Amino acid sequence: MSDFLKTRREFLRNSIWGASASWAVPMFVQQTFGEIDESTRDSAIQVDSGKDAEILVVLQMAGGNDGLNTVVPYDNDDYHKARPTLAKKEKDLIKVVDGLGLNHRLQGLAGLYDEGDLAIVQGVGYPNPNRSHFVSTSIWETADPRNRSNTGWLGRYFDNECSGMDPMVGMSLRKTQPESFGAERNSGISLSTPDLYRWIHGGEHKDVAEEVFSDLNAPDIDPVSGDSVKEVGGSGGLVGEDNASYLERVGLSAQVSSEQVIQVARKHNPQVKYPGSSLGKSLSLVGRMIAGEMPTRVYYVSHGGFDTHRNQTGRHDQLLGEMDGALKAFFRDLKEQGNYSRVTVMTFSEFGRRVGENASGGTDHGQGSCLFVAGGGVKGGVYGEHPSLSDLHKGDLKFTTDFRRVYATLLDDWLKTDSKAVLGKEFKGLDLLG
Amino acid sequence: MQAAKLSRERKLSLLGWWMDRMRRTDSPLREKMVFFWHDHFATSIQKVRFVRLMYRQNQLFREEALGNFGKLTHQIIEDPAMMIYLDSAQSNKKKPNENFARELMELFTLGEGAYTEEDIKEAARAFTGYRVNRRTGKVGFTKRRWDEGEKTILGETGRFNGEDVTRLVLKQPACARYLVGKLWEYFSYEKPSSQVVDRLAQVFVKHDYELKPLLRELFLAKEFYSEQAIRSQIKSPVEYVVKMSRQLEMDKIPDSVLLQTLTQLGQVPFQPPNVAGWDWGRAWVNTNTLLTRYHFAGLILGVLNDPKNKGQRGKKGFFGGAKFRSLSKPDIEGLVPRAQREDIPALVSELGFRLFQAPLREKDRVAFESYAKAMKGEIFTNTEVSELIHVMMSTPSYQLS
Repeated sequence: MSDFLKTRREFLRNSIWGASASWAVPMFVQQTFGEIDESTRDSAIQVDSGKDAEILVVLQMAGGNDGLNTVVPYDNDDYHKARPTLAKKEKDLIKVVDGLGLNHRLQGLAGLYDEGDLAIVQGVGYPNPNRSHFVSTSIWETADPRNRSNTGWLGRYFDNECSGMDPMVGMSLRKTQPESFGAERNSGISLSTPDLYRWIHGGEHKDVAEEVFSDLNAPDIDPVSGDSVKEVGGSGGLVGEDNASYLERVGLSAQVSSEQVIQVARKHNPQVKYPGSSLGKSLSLVGRMIAGEMPTRVYYVSHGGFDTHRNQTGRHDQLLGEMDGALKAFFRDLKEQGNYSRVTVMTFSEFGRRVGENASGGTDHGQGSCLFVAGGGVKGGVYGEHPSLSDLHKGDLKFTTDFRRVYATLLDDWLKTDSKAVLGKEFKGLDLLG
Repeated sequence: MQAAKLSRERKLSLLGWWMDRMRRTDSPLREKMVFFWHDHFATSIQKVRFVRLMYRQNQLFREEALGNFGKLTHQIIEDPAMMIYLDSAQSNKKKPNENFARELMELFTLGEGAYTEEDIKEAARAFTGYRVNRRTGKVGFTKRRWDEGEKTILGETGRFNGEDVTRLVLKQPACARYLVGKLWEYFSYEKPSSQVVDRLAQVFVKHDYELKPLLRELFLAKEFYSEQAIRSQIKSPVEYVVKMSRQLEMDKIPDSVLLQTLTQLGQVPFQPPNVAGWDWGRAWVNTNTLLTRYHFAGLILGVLNDPKNKGQRGKKGFFGGAKFRSLSKPDIEGLVPRAQREDIPALVSELGFRLFQAPLREKDRVAFESYAKAMKGEIFTNTEVSELIHVMMSTPSYQLS
């Protein structure tokens, strides 16, 4: 080995942050993060770990879910008038309270409601709604209705409240990183298949190759100050950072999280059978990660296809059914693990759909909609006011509950952080947890 | 079942056809512009379903790739694949569907904020009455389904139809700036200064949306060669795969391998995630996709002989078990003749130019040479050269172009 590598390696090995931990020494990674935990133990902020603290699972219903056919105001005449072919009848629904029924494919969620573990939040939206998928998704993910923010609401949580935490604080199971994970320092990790979540290289000189790999896939370190080593984790993009440095930080995050993710995934097999859908697979992996005591506080999964402009009926029901099946298995899994009470799931979609159906048997982009918060820590019930179906805004439901109130509730009452620091101002919580 | 299989195979061969065209083309700029239009006028086969219509749209993009933006926009409003994708084939005066009108303004021509919600509602009325025969792709117009009433759109009032709206939209000053900004980001860096955009937009307007004069100006701009611009762009998955196969002078990559790889990396041609096209730049790279890029390079080079994955087939293998056996390896013997393997700095520099098209960063060069020195026996075997290339590709630098 060259002197260059030797010196560099020694320096890195001796640095307490262990930023360039090699592939070959996984224990080293864990030890250094142990030290980080220890160092934060004295500071004012206690970094909670997903090992024993509360966990949030965010479930994206991508494409704009039709809230009116998810939680249905079945005895409202305006609803039936606006939707001659799409309206759901009372007999086809699972009644939750007078006048309100769940789509018949949401059997599992209905069961949770009966157990008092499902909160239905009605009329969720934001002022000056935007009907573009792109923009509205961005608004939800950044929690900024002006759509100016470069960071996501979860990324800001990672940055603000989990300093010194390793990148595994947030884990997204989408192929691409969700905007909500965008952060200045730590934006979590993304993965889909645990077995392949590492660098693989054959050959006779694997050790040297791994040294070189490890070294180049990490930010440069100032040998005097040791700066930039602190940026362990993070792939969101520091302000003013160039793409090369960004890539190095992603490489480092991959290195430090890989070994642990693989080990956990190999060790823990789900105790319940999950549906084979893509969401089922994602939630099954989340279940294994939780069982394996990963430090992750926030998981992000996605379920797509809700952009039902045409022939909506069968398709929309099917999508809800898939989501329900996957969630049912997930909650059963958590119960068997004994982790049910510390995991909360929140669903969201970029917007609801127009009250009136269109000529193609579908619905166009709308505004206010509903969302679910579910889990052992939830106070079940119906929250927020159902928007009027006669007093519309350009054919759309007017929102009654700002979505940031839901975020604030989860941040303050579940993740036990100061929501104001993450959301920029104070939002009144919904008191649906605890 | 049979029909579903056939349709799957057709979709796959369409993907393979285009990817191979990109690999072999003698006019890379044209192909690169075809991709720009595909991203700009994003249309997904998942909704359109008819392979032939997607192919036809792709050929339209190729014909107008370096032609005229106004002409292309006029053609796209009557493109059958687009009409199916954005539901304009289903819109009538009783219930106008706003999808197309909205995306025409927000994504195709003006950008957010250059129009109002009222403009969209009114424009949607104009885009009524169109019909598409899904099998033949023939586009028709049924006058009685068209809303012939007066509309006020972007400050003008008249009994507009779809073509009129397109004309109105293209007249807006926001249009040239919007398109120029997008082209700049596609070819160079994000968030160009308003001076650059204004200057190029003037050229674009002066030449009535002709693309060649605009691109000439763009490629000659001094900002295009600034430090901010050189080797700072993160390759998209399609670029990553195409560039790699060109650099290694590979044969055609099997269609199923391409599909699996591009799915994992987050960009499958003909399947943009939504009408806004793909999210470019840093969005391509996260911990997962970065490692997947490294795996793909390893597979192409045949250096992933990891015992845990050896012989594993089916869903546990790489990329969901695509047929990597049928993948032909690059001809290392031909790429790096034995004579070039004697001197390590020369070898690294030679490979560096092939793979990075620029001098290596000092940090990279020293690391690659150290690795090469550590592995060198009597002479580098083809396997060892492949391993060296894999290490060189497993770097942040290789993700940039």
